[in-house]
Amino acid sequence: MLEHLNPRPARPSRVVVLGAGGFVGSAIARRLATDGIASLPVTRKECDLLAPGAASRLGGLIRATDSVVLVSAIAPARAAADVTANVRMGEVVCQALGNVSPAHVVYVSSDAVYADDANPVTEQSCCHPSSLHGVMHLAREVMLRTSVKAPLAILRPTLIYGAGDPHNGYGPNRFRRLAAKGEPITLFGNGEEQRDHVFIDDVAALAALVLTHRSQGIVNVATGTSHSFRTVAEKVVALAPRPVPVQGTARKTPITHRHFDVTTTLKAFGTFRYTPLALGLERAAAET
Amino acid sequence: MSAHVVGFVGLTHLGLVSAVAAAVKGFRVVAFDSDPARVVAIEAGLLPVVEPDLDRLFREHRPRLGVTADPSALRVCSVVYVASDVPTNDDGVSELRGITELIDRVAPALNETAALVVLCQVPPGFTRGLSAPPAARRFYQVETLVFGRAVERALHPERFIVGCADPDAPLPGAYRAILDAFACPVLPMRYESAELAKIAINCCLVASVSITNSLAELSERVGADWAEIAPALRLDRRIGAHAYLTPGLGLAGGNLERDLATVLRLAAEQGVEAGVVAAFVRNSQHRRDWALRMLHAELLDNKPDAVVGVLGLAYKEDTHSTKNSPALSLIAGLTPWRVQVYDPVVPASTARHPAVVGCDSALAAAHGADALAIMTPWAEFRELKPADLAGVMRGRTVLDPFRVLDGRVVAAAGLDYATLGAPVLRARRRA
Repeated sequence: MLEHLNPRPARPSRVVVLGAGGFVGSAIARRLATDGIASLPVTRKECDLLAPGAASRLGGLIRATDSVVLVSAIAPARAAADVTANVRMGEVVCQALGNVSPAHVVYVSSDAVYADDANPVTEQSCCHPSSLHGVMHLAREVMLRTSVKAPLAILRPTLIYGAGDPHNGYGPNRFRRLAAKGEPITLFGNGEEQRDHVFIDDVAALAALVLTHRSQGIVNVATGTSHSFRTVAEKVVALAPRPVPVQGTARKTPITHRHFDVTTTLKAFGTFRYTPLALGLERAAAET
Repeated sequence: MSAHVVGFVGLTHLGLVSAVAAAVKGFRVVAFDSDPARVVAIEAGLLPVVEPDLDRLFREHRPRLGVTADPSALRVCSVVYVASDVPTNDDGVSELRGITELIDRVAPALNETAALVVLCQVPPGFTRGLSAPPAARRFYQVETLVFGRAVERALHPERFIVGCADPDAPLPGAYRAILDAFACPVLPMRYESAELAKIAINCCLVASVSITNSLAELSERVGADWAEIAPALRLDRRIGAHAYLTPGLGLAGGNLERDLATVLRLAAEQGVEAGVVAAFVRNSQHRRDWALRMLHAELLDNKPDAVVGVLGLAYKEDTHSTKNSPALSLIAGLTPWRVQVYDPVVPASTARHPAVVGCDSALAAAHGADALAIMTPWAEFRELKPADLAGVMRGRTVLDPFRVLDGRVVAAAGLDYATLGAPVLRARRRA
């Protein structure tokens, strides 16, 4: 599912990171800087993708020799208006990339595009999103696939955690904040659901690998090891300055799990290693 | 010796084995191939396929076996089988143009009473769609060749399934005599039924293998051992003593994959729900990479300079075929690591790897390896002594998906043992 146009990694001449002000985009920009890869971080300040004339302004920033990473999104897209705005942003990017066809395009999508019962998830799993967020990403994937002439790689990260995450969704980031404040961590049911949590630095590292290999195709960004939310909470508590209780609640929804088969990554980037959850949580705690 | 002369067209795996089987049953055989170089090699006794007993039987029955590149030699035959292997593309789809061209070439060479029997794997509708010979002399016969057991199955078929224009009409005498020589039931049916029967047989086998693979994987995770479960299932009459209950590394060899691709294509054309068949394909792809995932989990994730020994390149034992071979798939995923391989028949150059090293024995491939993967259950690998492996290997990991070795003996020799259908058996460490 992932083909390397550069069998041996080679630095792109420049990487334009759209959405470089966000959690994921800034991590990718940092990683590129660490790897000595020239980049042009583009935030809303340099180019607001929802502003009039955005396509031509963006086109003016991109060279034909550039690699372009699209991370910009209003995320999570919870309301229909969020979807509309995100699709509009995607349309602007497609227009710009149509005018200045770059060397490589990387889209950071989401595992929300998959059906909830896909298990284990692979890159071939059925795309049948149950959330507006998944619908939005899938729509943008299709827009890019049908309009971009450059080699296109689509990254579908699962639940991302890390120190700079501004979101407060159920999972490691919320658990860390609660523990830091000394407040109890409340689980849905007993936190039995198993999910794969990926450390932000790994998302950035994998994006860099895709860029240097000029890969095209689809790759999930997931560790291949799922943990229950209770396990995550207990690991977070173990790292907290003082213990907080982890408490269950009456279950209102059925238990569902999500596991990933990461064979595509093993084949594409055999020596790449994901950060184990315990180590990632330690790093996130240290960086907070 | 029978008075009937039987022709075989296309001397690849199916044709060659079938021709030898007919000769063994006492028929004079005219074996035709359009490739003169292949004919010369076969005449010299250099058979292009590896099957147990094939070379010996070919030699023993050589006086009854004429090999030719001249289609006019088929004129003496009462029955002519078209038995060329039908190649498949990467998606498992049959490429039928070659077989159609072959039939168009040989049909005019047959005598006016000869029957033509399509023996190759063709989709429903193929035989009826042929323009020659006339339908009353045109048949389709299901082949059930199994690589590595092809001769045995050709000599002792369970039954003959024969596709006809008119299933109620008696088969031509010569054709009936040939079939009767094998002393098994003959089931005439319409062309399309016979063509689909072949696919149905393979789909049922795949169903058994696929559920076995899923439950074997579950066994690995929950602490069960599928080897303990399978015998219990075999004693259930609804499942059967000969059911395909041995876990494997996905489907390989090309034939089963071809039939799944055919069913999916036909189901799409006809609007038939075939989600379960698509699931078989996904299951096969998933299990093929078992060894790669296991190697990463056991070794590669923590040892960037690992050396991996691979025993076997053929997709199964007793064959030279590497079609969809799990071993080749594994090696392609080991590009960053050094790989040492040995196969009794297939050369190391078959593997797609920038630095694969071919070895002249199994023990040589294990020498200095951090992990050893026994990817084809060749009989000679069963002779390996785990203590010898432990003595020459640098690391402690043995992957033996097909249980060629006794896992307990391997663990007792100080090696970690991973197989299909059971949790990893850890080495007994000496104090």
